[in-house]
Amino acid sequence: MSDYTVYLDNAATTKPAQAVIDAVAISLRDGFYNPSAIYKPAVAAAKEIENCRMLIMDSLQAEQVVFTSGGTEANNLGILGRLSNSRQGGRVLYSLLEHPSVKSACQVVPEGFEAIGIPIDPSGRVDLHALDDLLTPDIRMVCVMQVNNETGALQPLDEVAQAIKEKAPGVWLHVDGVQGYLRHPIRLKDAGIDSYAFSGHKIHGPKGVGALALGRKNSLKPCLFGGGQESGLRSGTENTPGIAGLMAAVRDFPREHVMRRLKIHLYERLKTAIPALIVNGPDPQSAYACDHIINLSFPPVRAETMLHSLEAKGVYVSHGSACSSRKSRHSDTLKAMGVSQAALEGAIRFSLSPLTTADEIEVAVRATLESFEALKAFTRR
Amino acid sequence: MTELLLVKYAEIHLKGLNRPYFQKLLLKRIKETVRPFALNVEFFDSRIFIRGVQDIEAVIERVRKVFGVHAVCAAVEMNKADFGAICTAAAGMMTGLAGTFKVRARRADKRYFIDSPEINTRIGAVILEKNPALVVDVHQPEHVINVEIRDQALLYTREVPGVGGLPSGSSGKAMLMLSGGIDSPVAGYMIAKRGVVLNAVHFFSFPYTGELAREKVLSLARALSEYCGVIKTYIVSFTKLQEAIHVHCPPEYSTLVMRRLMVRITDFLAEREKATALITGESIGQVASQTMEALAVTDRMASRPVFRPLIGFDKIEIIRLAEKIGTYETSSLPYEDCCTVFTPRHPVTRPKLSKVLEAEAAIPELDAMVAVAVETAELLYIGPDKEEDALSGETA
Repeated sequence: MSDYTVYLDNAATTKPAQAVIDAVAISLRDGFYNPSAIYKPAVAAAKEIENCRMLIMDSLQAEQVVFTSGGTEANNLGILGRLSNSRQGGRVLYSLLEHPSVKSACQVVPEGFEAIGIPIDPSGRVDLHALDDLLTPDIRMVCVMQVNNETGALQPLDEVAQAIKEKAPGVWLHVDGVQGYLRHPIRLKDAGIDSYAFSGHKIHGPKGVGALALGRKNSLKPCLFGGGQESGLRSGTENTPGIAGLMAAVRDFPREHVMRRLKIHLYERLKTAIPALIVNGPDPQSAYACDHIINLSFPPVRAETMLHSLEAKGVYVSHGSACSSRKSRHSDTLKAMGVSQAALEGAIRFSLSPLTTADEIEVAVRATLESFEALKAFTRR
Repeated sequence: MTELLLVKYAEIHLKGLNRPYFQKLLLKRIKETVRPFALNVEFFDSRIFIRGVQDIEAVIERVRKVFGVHAVCAAVEMNKADFGAICTAAAGMMTGLAGTFKVRARRADKRYFIDSPEINTRIGAVILEKNPALVVDVHQPEHVINVEIRDQALLYTREVPGVGGLPSGSSGKAMLMLSGGIDSPVAGYMIAKRGVVLNAVHFFSFPYTGELAREKVLSLARALSEYCGVIKTYIVSFTKLQEAIHVHCPPEYSTLVMRRLMVRITDFLAEREKATALITGESIGQVASQTMEALAVTDRMASRPVFRPLIGFDKIEIIRLAEKIGTYETSSLPYEDCCTVFTPRHPVTRPKLSKVLEAEAAIPELDAMVAVAVETAELLYIGPDKEEDALSGETA
């Protein structure tokens, strides 16, 4: 095993920044008061939460921000909180490449609603023609993510918003921004987005905190009931240390970075040495490919073998999507894209952080090439 | 009146002059298994007594799994001189019950002032008087209260069946080939039940399998150790051999050559451990490498008997046993124990020994590679409590 590790699984989670760790520690130590209390330090704790809220609202041009326990809860609140506030039933559209926290929420929509999947094209993007056909007057909500967590495909949100505007004005657009937040800046109002979910630990913040940003105020019903915190939309004593850490993460997230250049470099080096390399998702050079994720297959080497071999060389990457890879054998997203069996069995996700260096990419390239050379001869006979 | 656990042992009763040897081993195993609870365990009058128990359920659960235990009873211990108090206590233990019952007295102390039938009658009468909802049925009672008259009087109604068998260590030592599948832990259980100390051997093919597969095997060894105590577990790095087979042997013979090498390495480790046998989870015809012809070919690599306790079992029967002993869930975890890359599509089912030998001869430096695999095997001590792993880490 190598002493030097290169972490390229930033789509699964990121290493908390030092400023985040400090902010969490300070909040735990000095700012532990219940923000609902009325003495001075508690009021200060409440003020901290509001400062973070303003920072996030500003970063997204949002009308309202509700803190949650993370991306999953934010997606659930955006979808189910909106539908339960809807006076009439109807249909909900969600792309077939959504994260399980969106897909599963769509499986339990309130009575009177029905959820329908929007097909995706072979590059891993929502099929806009199919969406156009599906946008009938009984549609109440459309869910499309900003960046797919497995392939890194940027979704055509502008086109989706435009189609809604033309064919079904007023329909709620929910966006899972867990992979896109801050990496691909977005303004909710300009983009026609009504709710946008994100998570702290994907942007070098702490786990256990996230938020739902809203383009329209007072438009949801809560999913959790209790003391009425977060304007009644998310009861439960506020996660002050988590929110303090989230604030530091949002404030310090590097706006300038070279992830795209490094990702393309990684791809080109591998492609030159391994002509059989397969990209699962959009062309890494295209405008539809996000900066930090690339999904590659190295036939005939199986993903699991490659992962272990890279691990032994100190390079940590992942297999499909980290949320579900220990359970399902193959990614639903890749299957919906029509990826071949060989590519499915070999799909590896490299995901970068703004802090990833050229040296680390070099180590990853060498480790991948060495592993491929060593393993390619061993295929099932 | 004090509460205690009374442990009855099984087949040891059938032993003759060497019965004390078995009793001593059983006592040792029970002491080991309850060590985290710091209890007083002693042998007396063909029973084992555990005193000072706080968490009765947890201790019963541990003790009932010790091979050699027939049953564990949660009992109260009283002065046998005060028979009136015994009757009152017995009636107290039957409070709230309804239906049929019987008293089962056992007078080990033959000097006691009344005999067993008389004890039954007198205690039964008190119980009936205090609890009119009960009636006596000596043939098929719903409730039984046991009264044993020894140095003291012991009363109990609850008797939890143990796993039976012979105490670990009474029948020597064997090497269990533990794959991570469903069969091998069950095979190990069956042989360990007869008093055999288990050492486990696992063949690990990193990077074709990973940390999760290794953890899975260790948790299976841990589950088995609840029955038979700490298991010395060898993790043999098998990658180089597996790759060499893939390169040099005809695909249809590769699984068989692999099995033979595994047996050969296990046999070397058995020599080092002074173990008398090998154990595998094979059953006739389950897969290509388990046809009678294939088993005959792998058997030749062992210089000691290969025990296959599941040889005549159907898969469903093995699964039921695995569920019963508590290894099925772990065995069914999806981590591949032996990557499918090395599984040929058309393995030979009626192998010819000459062909197998030919295939093996084609692998260069085979003996050296086998020696390295044996030398570099990692040794772990796996017990029911993780603290016992402290000795682990040394190489073989």
